[in-house]
Amino acid sequence: MLSFLSELKVPITNGLLLGGLYGIIGIGMSMIFGIVRLVNLAHGDLIILASYLSLVTMTLFPVSPLLTLIVVIPAMCVIGFIVQYYLLNRVLGKGMNPPLLVAFGLSIIVQNLLLLIFTPDARTLLTSISVKTLPIGSFLNIPVVYLVDFIGSIVTIALLSRFFNRTYLGKAIRAASDDEGAAQLMGINTKSIYAIAMGLAMGTAAIAGVLVGMTFTFYPHTGPEYLIMAFGVVIVGGLGSLLGTFLGGLILGLAQILGAHFLGPGFQLLSGYLILLIVLTFKPTGLFAKG
Amino acid sequence: MANSLLRVQKIDVFYHDFHAVWDASLEVEEALVVSIIGANGAGKSTLLNTIAGVLRPSNGTIEFAGKKINGLMPYQAVQEGISMVPEGRRMFPRLTVLENLEVGCYTPKARKRKDEAIRRTYELFPILEERKNQLSITLSGGEQQMLAIGRALMCEPRLILFDEISLGLAPLVIKNIYQRVKLINSEGITALLVEQDIQRSLKSSHKVYIMQSGRIRLEGKPGELSQEDIRKAYFGL
Amino acid sequence: MQLLRSSRLTGIILIVVALISLPYWASRYWVLVMLLFSLNLALSQMWNLLAGYSGLISLGQQAFIGLGGYALAVFSIYYGFPIWLSIMIGGLVSVLFALLMSAPIFRMRGVYFAIGTWTVAETLRILFSNWKYVGYGMGLFVKPAYSLSFNTIYFTALGAGIGSVVLVYFILRSKLGLGLMAIRDEETASETLGVDIFRCKLNCFLISAGVTGAVAGVLYLHNIFIQPYSAFGIDWTVRLVFITIIGGIGTIEGPIIGSLLYVFLQQWLSEYPSVSLLILGAIAIGVILVAPKGIMGSIQEKLGFEILSPRRK
Repeated sequence: MLSFLSELKVPITNGLLLGGLYGIIGIGMSMIFGIVRLVNLAHGDLIILASYLSLVTMTLFPVSPLLTLIVVIPAMCVIGFIVQYYLLNRVLGKGMNPPLLVAFGLSIIVQNLLLLIFTPDARTLLTSISVKTLPIGSFLNIPVVYLVDFIGSIVTIALLSRFFNRTYLGKAIRAASDDEGAAQLMGINTKSIYAIAMGLAMGTAAIAGVLVGMTFTFYPHTGPEYLIMAFGVVIVGGLGSLLGTFLGGLILGLAQILGAHFLGPGFQLLSGYLILLIVLTFKPTGLFAKG
Repeated sequence: MANSLLRVQKIDVFYHDFHAVWDASLEVEEALVVSIIGANGAGKSTLLNTIAGVLRPSNGTIEFAGKKINGLMPYQAVQEGISMVPEGRRMFPRLTVLENLEVGCYTPKARKRKDEAIRRTYELFPILEERKNQLSITLSGGEQQMLAIGRALMCEPRLILFDEISLGLAPLVIKNIYQRVKLINSEGITALLVEQDIQRSLKSSHKVYIMQSGRIRLEGKPGELSQEDIRKAYFGL
Repeated sequence: MQLLRSSRLTGIILIVVALISLPYWASRYWVLVMLLFSLNLALSQMWNLLAGYSGLISLGQQAFIGLGGYALAVFSIYYGFPIWLSIMIGGLVSVLFALLMSAPIFRMRGVYFAIGTWTVAETLRILFSNWKYVGYGMGLFVKPAYSLSFNTIYFTALGAGIGSVVLVYFILRSKLGLGLMAIRDEETASETLGVDIFRCKLNCFLISAGVTGAVAGVLYLHNIFIQPYSAFGIDWTVRLVFITIIGGIGTIEGPIIGSLLYVFLQQWLSEYPSVSLLILGAIAIGVILVAPKGIMGSIQEKLGFEILSPRRK
């Protein structure tokens, strides 16, 4: 029994660490879903856009990928704000389908733009830590980049949590997501608030994009993979809960790595998909949903 | 005679395809308490919502302190000095009492005077200070109503619109709340209330309007109107 | 049957005759264009049946395209079945899978349904990529299709295209169609009036799956080479979504216009496939913002003009 467990220690550790990355992939979608009641079908592609932005920055300035965040985060925030304010705000409230379809259109546009500019070649954000491992005691070797992903995710989520609970703007955003009409009566310009929220969500996408680029290879069509993953994280973890999304990430990460371990590498994504389908069928509000 | 703070002239309001308010005009003088009374469905809330900017009149004008405000979004009306206590209170359920008050006025100039405004609200409604870190949904009906009024005060408004504040509350609680409204008014804040409770309104208002089926049927000072006239207007006889 | 005014009927008959006789008077290029048009038409009519009439935005139609294509490949190659039979089996397999899928999928609403269908398709993609029997990710060559002439494939595709329009037309005039119209206009009210919404939607889902699966068989007669990555890829649905939205969702003519537009755009920009998708995406977004009913829907609204109206007069 013990040897069975110790055989699993690598997949379990890797699964949890990777789960942190999945958590931050899902946070942006969770925010938008919770605040604006919109499922951003372009979320995955926007994360990959951030990866490419980081790549460009790295070719212009010889810095490590993490430093490119200085440029990529503001760039993505601005993009998010503009997309929400000028595009998505205009179809909010027109029913369930228009926002979905506009986001879908946006997803295709981003993918094909990236394809045109960058060609279909696989890319990666190379850094010295990409191949290093960190020994823990004598029984475990953690890939450093997974650890960085995990820490990056926790830090981001903690900062976001602080933002929503302690700052004036954060509270205004929560108010607007609770009751848009009442928020308007408080002097809150909800259209502008939604755009700010989307800008923030894209900020997290920026971080996710850089981390993803450091951990995996990417090319213009990887977006949808991360979309389904983000959706999985959000659904499994439950709506409206930052912590829940993080936990959802951990669960999916574990499921994927364990799935790959037992069934083979081709089935890594499959395990995640199956869990998503199961949760969607039986408890669509998620396992840790708030109220 | 005090200055006219709010002047509504001949407005029609459609709620989707339904003609909810017909050719309504009213005038609210500064520092008065004015009530719009009517039965369910009379159109009073629609009228109030139109003043607040939630709905738009299809014609006519609404003037506030001499400035035309029809067509403004609600958050812009707030900036002009109009606050609303919405029907059903509309708390932000996932925010605490204190947080509800804090977002009560999201204009830059009010933000600076936030702490002062919160202190004044606590003076008026001490129970809110007691419960300040509780989630707003855990409050009783009466306490929620107080919170809603406290929220509306945060903007230091010139005019507060009260939409059916007695709904679902016990008579003693209603009496308590109306006493506070009177206190607020005594500080110079103008109040426009929408009410179904005729007696309560007559007792607490300087002027009343009676609406029925979307039209204003009667207006006047409570002392000058006969029971008969009021009854006829209320029921549309 | 006073379905159509005689001038419109004549016009339609003329067009159909022209299309049927196309190989005899037009260049092969144009026959190819009309072949692609017919296939896209059939597929988008089915997507429209779901999204425009049943209120089901599905992002998973590619599941049936893959299943239909692989059925054609497997049954004609490994079992030596005649091609028409393999195509029919493709349709049947799709219907069965749709039935199986419907149990969990129909518990999902709105965006959950959309992503649920997409996930199912992705799941199939992974399964087929890892399945030795169908050649893993490398796919199969539908060799039996080599024996068919280009014109035969064209006529089959044309039949599918015209057939899909006819099918949708008669569905809308049937009892099922009445139910769909009621759902489209006011879903909750129609439920109280006894319309079995679930049954209506399920039937549409099954029909659309079956037809899509069969049409996929024809499609792969033309494409010859099938592999999981593209067969079960979201790109199919991307096309169908754009075609239907731009052409006019919820109208019979919409997919016709949309498919024409799509095929011409694709041919014009055949050197730059990404550009054509980019332009389509931008047009689609523009349409949703400005004229959400699409080309045909806006025409119908402004001019009250319908070519193929299923309404009883």
